[in-house]
Formats: sequence, structure tokens, C-alpha cells
Amino acid sequence: MNGGLRSSTDPDLVARAAAGDPSAFQALVERHRAMVYRVAYQFAGNHHDAEDIAQDVFLKVYRSLDRFRQDAQLTSWLYRIVMNACIDYRRRHAPAGWAPFTEEAETRMLNAPEDGPGPEDAAYGGELGEVLSAEVSRLPAGQRLVFTMRHHEGLKLCEIADALGLAEGTVKRQLHAAVHRLRAALTIAKVTTGGRA
Amino acid sequence: MTGCEFGESPDIELYFYGELDAASRASVEAHVRHCAECARRLDDLETIRRALASRPRVDAPPAGDWSGFMSRLTFRLKAEATSASSTSASSWLPPSGGRKTSLHRAAPWLALAATLVLVTIAAVLTLRSRTIPGATQPPAATEPAQPSAAGGDPLLALSGQHLERSKLVVLGLATRDPVHTSSADWEYERQLAGSLLSDTRLYRRAAEQRGLNDVARVMGDLETVLLETSLGDHTDPESLERVQQLIRKRDLVVKMQVIGGSGI
Repeated sequence: MNGGLRSSTDPDLVARAAAGDPSAFQALVERHRAMVYRVAYQFAGNHHDAEDIAQDVFLKVYRSLDRFRQDAQLTSWLYRIVMNACIDYRRRHAPAGWAPFTEEAETRMLNAPEDGPGPEDAAYGGELGEVLSAEVSRLPAGQRLVFTMRHHEGLKLCEIADALGLAEGTVKRQLHAAVHRLRAALTIAKVTTGGRA
Repeated sequence: MTGCEFGESPDIELYFYGELDAASRASVEAHVRHCAECARRLDDLETIRRALASRPRVDAPPAGDWSGFMSRLTFRLKAEATSASSTSASSWLPPSGGRKTSLHRAAPWLALAATLVLVTIAAVLTLRSRTIPGATQPPAATEPAQPSAAGGDPLLALSGQHLERSKLVVLGLATRDPVHTSSADWEYERQLAGSLLSDTRLYRRAAEQRGLNDVARVMGDLETVLLETSLGDHTDPESLERVQQLIRKRDLVVKMQVIGGSGI
């Protein structure tokens, strides 16, 4: 990134990229790719899928440059895109009819963990952070995304709801369910490790 | 149930995450002072926070190397730009008045796209031209397939060219004798497979996005075979046999011929 671009504001870069300047778009990507990749990795749990999601995000950004409001925060816009990219990615790799946030899906998700070792298995193999991190990766996609955005990225629940087009109550229930499962994993881990964890 | 007024309500989490208004917050604080169960819920949340905070944050590809990510992103942007310049109603164009702007934006990528395609073809041809003692050379590299019935669609044309190049590699893998294939030959095939992998993935994803399901499926099968070939740690006969079984199981050679013969 050259010095001029490095000191440019996000809205400046967006305007220049929208006008056809590839170096401005590259500068935008370089500036925000770590955040996008971090969220994608927290959601996906592996580099392969994290890269796919992050690439999708920047493609969507590129397609939407003309629609970015100059008075908006680019990071808010990016968070919105990355959250939806995570859900889209999961949907593309899920059985037909998969829906992350419907009431029925919410109920189903409470008892439908993703594949992977459970907390008992994980507790034998590592410290508490590792155990809980593994449990986060086993959360159903909706819960995992909401937990990641609230816990790790610090977004308010109303922002998450707005970005995903959901009622705030739905997002609250997702967070509640996620925390409930993490507490259960914490309890098991403490028992399994005899309090070492 | 403990009889606690908060029971299983989310208020404790919402308090922890600063999501309650002042009145609700005061209510929770007053409650927690005399409710051991809710105090434990709060302690657990703090433990969870500390434990997760101790985990390393992953915010970059392995080894912090963004070069592969950036080149693949650039390729996909160029593919989009190529597509946009040749279709009258590309989905990523703004709904009104945006076509001119978007095409203008696409122009620099188009020049880069042409370069990248040439570099990719050159890399494959270079690999093919390497002389490895005892290696059976694959069939002579062909000229890039003509787009023919691709109807001028750059994606289909590029996919067709890519399938032609890949078919030579797959045929080479399928016809090798596992027992008499030297480690050097096997390594050569693995290099070829590896050189085609990322492009295969890109074409597969592009085909999925365009609804070209047949092409996407064949690209997906090809990707699986190339992955199995290039990522294995061993150059033993069993590894080659596994790849050959995979090719047979997926009927990959026939599928590539059918798709190739269908006009892409």
C-alpha cells in the first residue's frame, strides 16, 4: 500500500475504488482483511473455510461499492456483510431447507451440535480455553455467529439483529442458548479435569 | 428450578454483556447479592471470558502469509470483471445507471485478467515441459481449447481450457502403473495436480455461482482428485492406487470428456 493510500480515509478509498482504481480497492482489503478473516475463522474454525468466507466478503464489497453510503461506518458495513457471508456459506454447505434463525430451527439447534469432539473429550486434551473454544465451534451456526459477534467482536445485540434482519429477541435467545451450552461445557470440563481446567 | 426470580431468563447474560438499561441493571445487581446461583452464573461467564481470551486470535492465513489469499481474490475479481464486460445483465451491476461505472471499474481488472490467464497457462506448460528422467511425458500440451460453443462466455471458455489441461493430468494419473512409477514421476504428477488445484476451485465456485451445475460438479470431482494427489505425504504405489480408485469411482475421465464435448 503506498503512502497516499495508507493515509486515505475509508470513504475516500471506497469512492476511488468505485471509480475504477484497483489500488484503492486493494488498500481497502489490506486495511480490513484481518478483521474479516478473524470473524470468518471464529465462525468456520479452519483456514480453508475462513478464506472462502473472507473472499466472498470482499467480492460482495466490490459488487456493492456503488451502494456504500459515504456517511456510514465502513466497519459496520463490513460486519454486516461478513455476518451474512458466514450464514450464506453455511447454507451452501447445508442440507436443503436449512435455516439458521427460524423459530423451528432455533428449537432444533438447541439440541443439534455441529460435528466434533464433545467437552468431555476436549477436556482430556487441553486447557479450559481449548475446551471452550472447541465447544464454541460445535455451537449451531446461528448461535455461534451471534456469540462470536457479541463476545469477540463486541457488537451490540441490536446491531447484530439489524445486520441479519432478525428481531432482537431472536438474537437474545441465540446468545442465551450459546452461553447455556458453554456453561454446561465449563461444568463438565471442571468435573472431568478435577478442577484443573 | 431454584425458585430464583431470574430462573433461566437471559437477563444475567444480558447484564454481563452490558445489554440492559439502568433500571434492569440495578435489579440484577441487587438480586445477585443474595442469589448464589445467579452469582455463579456471572462467575462462569467471567471464567468463559478469561478462558477464551487466552486463546490465540487467528486473523490471517497460516504463517501470516496473505499472498495466496490476495492473488486468489484478485483472480476472482478479474473473473467477475470479465464476465461483467461480456454480459448484458450481470448481477453485480448496480440496479440503475451503474453499468457504465462498473464497466469502467472493471477495465483495469480485465487487463490483469488476461495476464493472469497467460501466466497460468505458461506455468502449466512449463511444468509439462520439464524433463524428468524415466518419466512418461503426458500427451503433448495442446493449444488452449477454443471456446467454440461456449457462446462467447469467458467463464465457459476458460473452464473449457482448464478442463482440457486438467484432463491430461487426470489421464496421466489414471494410466500410470503404480508398481513401476518412480518417486520422481509421482512427484511430477503431484506438482502438476497442485498447479491446477486453486484454479479448479475458482472455476468450481464460479460455476456454482452461475448455476452451471454440471460444470460445477465435474470441477468438484476434479478438485477432489487433485487434492488427493497433491496433498498426500507419500509417493508410494498405494497412494497412486488410491488416486486411481478415486478417478474410477467418480468416473472423472468420462465426465470430463462429456462436459468437454458438450461445447465448453
